[in-house]
Amino acid sequence: MIPEVYNFAMNAVPEGAGARPIRLLPDTLISQIAAGEVVERPASVLKELLENALDAGATAIDIRLDAGGVKRLRIADDGHGIPRDELAPALTRHATSKIASLEELENVASLGFRGEALASIASVADLTLTSRARGAPHAFALAGGHRDPARAALAAGTVIEVAELFGQVPARRKFLKSEATEFAHCGEALRRIALSRPEVSFTLAHNGRVAQHLKAETLEARITHVLGEEFARGARMVEAQAGPIGIIGMIGDPAQARASRDAQYFFVNGRFVRDKVLQHAVRAAYADVLHGDRQPAYALFITLPPAGVDVNVHPAKTEVRFRESQGIHQFVMRAVSAALSASAADAPVPMANAASGAPAAIVDGGADAVRPPAMFTPTPMSLFRAAPPAGQPQSQAAYFAMFSAAGATSRAMEAPAPSYLPAPLPEGDMPLGHAVAQLHGIYILAQNRAGLVVVDMHAAHERILYETFKKDLEGERIAAQPLLIPVAFNAERIEVATAGDYADALDRLGFEITPLSETSLAVRSVPALLADTDAKALARDVLKELQEFGSGEVLTRHRDELLSTMACHAAVRANRRLSLAEMDALLRQMEETEKSGQCNHGRPTWYQFALADLDRLFLRGR
Amino acid sequence: MHLVTAERDALLKPIQTVSGIVERRHTLPILSNLLLTKTDGELSFLATDIEVQISTKAQCEKGQDAATTVAARKLLDILRALPAGANVSMELNNKKLNIKAGKSRFSLQTLAAEDFPTVSQSAEFKAGFTVGQKSLKALLALVQYAMAQQDIRYYLNGLLLIVEKGQAKVVATDGHRLAFAALAVESDVDRQEVIIPRKTVIELERLLDDSDEPIRIDIAPTQVRFQFGNVELVSKLVEGKFPDYNRVIPTGYKNSFSIAREELIGCLQRAAILTNEKFKGVRCVVGDGSLKISCTNTDQEEAQEEAEIDYSGDAIDIGFNVTYLLDVLAHVKSETITVALGDANSSALVTTPDNTEFKYVVMPMRI
Repeated sequence: MIPEVYNFAMNAVPEGAGARPIRLLPDTLISQIAAGEVVERPASVLKELLENALDAGATAIDIRLDAGGVKRLRIADDGHGIPRDELAPALTRHATSKIASLEELENVASLGFRGEALASIASVADLTLTSRARGAPHAFALAGGHRDPARAALAAGTVIEVAELFGQVPARRKFLKSEATEFAHCGEALRRIALSRPEVSFTLAHNGRVAQHLKAETLEARITHVLGEEFARGARMVEAQAGPIGIIGMIGDPAQARASRDAQYFFVNGRFVRDKVLQHAVRAAYADVLHGDRQPAYALFITLPPAGVDVNVHPAKTEVRFRESQGIHQFVMRAVSAALSASAADAPVPMANAASGAPAAIVDGGADAVRPPAMFTPTPMSLFRAAPPAGQPQSQAAYFAMFSAAGATSRAMEAPAPSYLPAPLPEGDMPLGHAVAQLHGIYILAQNRAGLVVVDMHAAHERILYETFKKDLEGERIAAQPLLIPVAFNAERIEVATAGDYADALDRLGFEITPLSETSLAVRSVPALLADTDAKALARDVLKELQEFGSGEVLTRHRDELLSTMACHAAVRANRRLSLAEMDALLRQMEETEKSGQCNHGRPTWYQFALADLDRLFLRGR
Repeated sequence: MHLVTAERDALLKPIQTVSGIVERRHTLPILSNLLLTKTDGELSFLATDIEVQISTKAQCEKGQDAATTVAARKLLDILRALPAGANVSMELNNKKLNIKAGKSRFSLQTLAAEDFPTVSQSAEFKAGFTVGQKSLKALLALVQYAMAQQDIRYYLNGLLLIVEKGQAKVVATDGHRLAFAALAVESDVDRQEVIIPRKTVIELERLLDDSDEPIRIDIAPTQVRFQFGNVELVSKLVEGKFPDYNRVIPTGYKNSFSIAREELIGCLQRAAILTNEKFKGVRCVVGDGSLKISCTNTDQEEAQEEAEIDYSGDAIDIGFNVTYLLDVLAHVKSETITVALGDANSSALVTTPDNTEFKYVVMPMRI
């Protein structure tokens, strides 16, 4: 953006800058300067025009681009149109129908409101506006630079054609990239808009060929179409409401997280935003299920009263300011955490089942001659609380029915079974099934309805312990360890100010940080749990986070790291022999534990091999 | 070339003395070696980790002077594994150190003695004093456990030694608690304040024995030297400003009580079984005539202990990290200890009746 303005200034300077009187700039020049902020490339034109179309109540929008949108960009909508008399003002700077007063600005619900877009675009390109207001006998067209609309033919709505973008501004044109790149940017702009309005259909054509067509559909379907089937398969729904604030959307499976942040879509009241408070909240929720530096994919929609958010921060409106950013942060983080917390038993968590089950009945069915009785004793370990439930006759029947579908095949499979399977397998509808063996002291093999489940027992147990530790600590008051010798450090002024502003929040976290001077702070108390960590670094991190996001998540992160290490040390190690009952208990616990699909370091804990997959390996059932 | 022939123990002891500071892992291989120097009927042993250097010597038969370096760990393990009383001879042949004892034969690689990085001793050991080994050992034991470990405030990873006329004081703190002790010594030097690195303190305490044999302590601006028996320990000092301990040690506390040390240890150890394993908080309620100690953990389990004390001060409900209390109780040797308290948010002062120069300050924990 800057180069544009800068360029004008550069041209002006050589003529003896100091001597010129101060004057109002010509209108076109002002629009061109404004265009520098809003219109950066075809994609930004597309964004502005799509927003206008949506604000006009369009239900179907047709986009045609030529040469990446640089040569021609045409948008046709079926909205309410613009009456003849308003066509000329529409192309004038600061003219809009969307707001009329400051009160309305504070409660703005439309996507646009500045009244600058059309004028700005018209100042850097050839713009033609054709529109037929609802009820008008015919349409009128107005080209940029003209005052009088001419009659035109159009069934309904508005068509805006932008040609030769930056034709008159060679400096800006130089910054445009290749046709393919500009088209890709336009595609991204469309994706953002399309996600936010699933009830509107979009058609995008490039150089005369249809590149994408999205019909009016549900939000879920729209997200699937825009972010891809692969995302949708592992995605989880997020939905939460707290008073007037709501969030809905889909978040990607942690295991599918990617290296770049390109599939992260956040919408606030239907407007796409890039907001670090929101990004941070999601990131915090993903903290211990993501492997390394991976980035989660998501499309999330937040609705809140327009008064709760200031969108008038930047002309392009991708930045917003929340009145209650701390509350929003918490809200988003909780909602996403809850969605991620779904346990190994994704959909039907058999809580009731597990609770009512008869203890260790699983092994009573015979075949006792084959194995040593010791292996059947219910485990005394307290960490295996849930006793495996008894098999239910009807589901057992269903299980066998499933097998008999394969006919003779299943007979063959059953034949050798008694020698190593725990007898007539009582197959309740346990998502992770029942353990059948331990492999090399590392993996648990379990059999469930779908086929074979392989569980990394250390990773799984680690997660179970970790979640237990966390639950134990939650709700407890944070114990503080005051320091005998305070840790003093030189601080930025902003840190000193933050320490003062958030004294209460810090106190709740177990911190006491007091200013020594305008540029130094003393840590006088730290959370007892983290008493051995570097107090200065910890304090700095916490202050930074409080200042930026209004929350002290960094502490939870440090605490969780500690708990994670403890969990890792306490979890069963490889080569530890587990009895079937113990393994089953572990599986049941996984089903009840949040986030049990990943270990604390983001590695998967279990894997499902469907019977069909196995069949394929052996070329069966073809 | 023949180096020495001696009974196993005569060699084992000096090697054990010096090899304690040899680090197991080094980027500089020669630092895992010992320097053996034979001069004029004396065999000297020297080890260093660049910060600290320990040397000692033993008598041996006269012969040609020689010097070499050999892996400390291996030499020590060999000597230890040989039967007690075995006659051991060492010979230096062709850059190998050959060890013979009975029918055992060992041949160790050596590195050139010239390459061994010995600590060059300062020329300005100005201040010095002499005390009995036993007294110094006891003095260090009173405070060394309170030193910080790998704190980024590097000056806390050591012990503050203050020498002034007639007195030596030692202070250690990790920022959470502080231990102070003093000892009367014969010295007439100007006040000196130095910070001795943690490793040196621990090694020194290990080497000192419970005898009245003297130990000579000399202080230079960047070094401290300890000489006792045949041993000489030279250590660099930690640069930096140690916190002002005087401001930390509270005075004028009116609420205090005495309690038998063993009894309090018992109470705390039992209660600590049910403390939160992550931060070891223990709650102490001091009231008329009784000290109640309680702990709870995240499983809602609870331990309660009560001890009778002679107390009539304010009722105080205060929390502590139990390790900080057990630490001091384990290291003071007196029958009873005295605890003085301000209020629930102020530090507690632990003293002993038989040593008025000992003070231990610990911050409470807000549970």
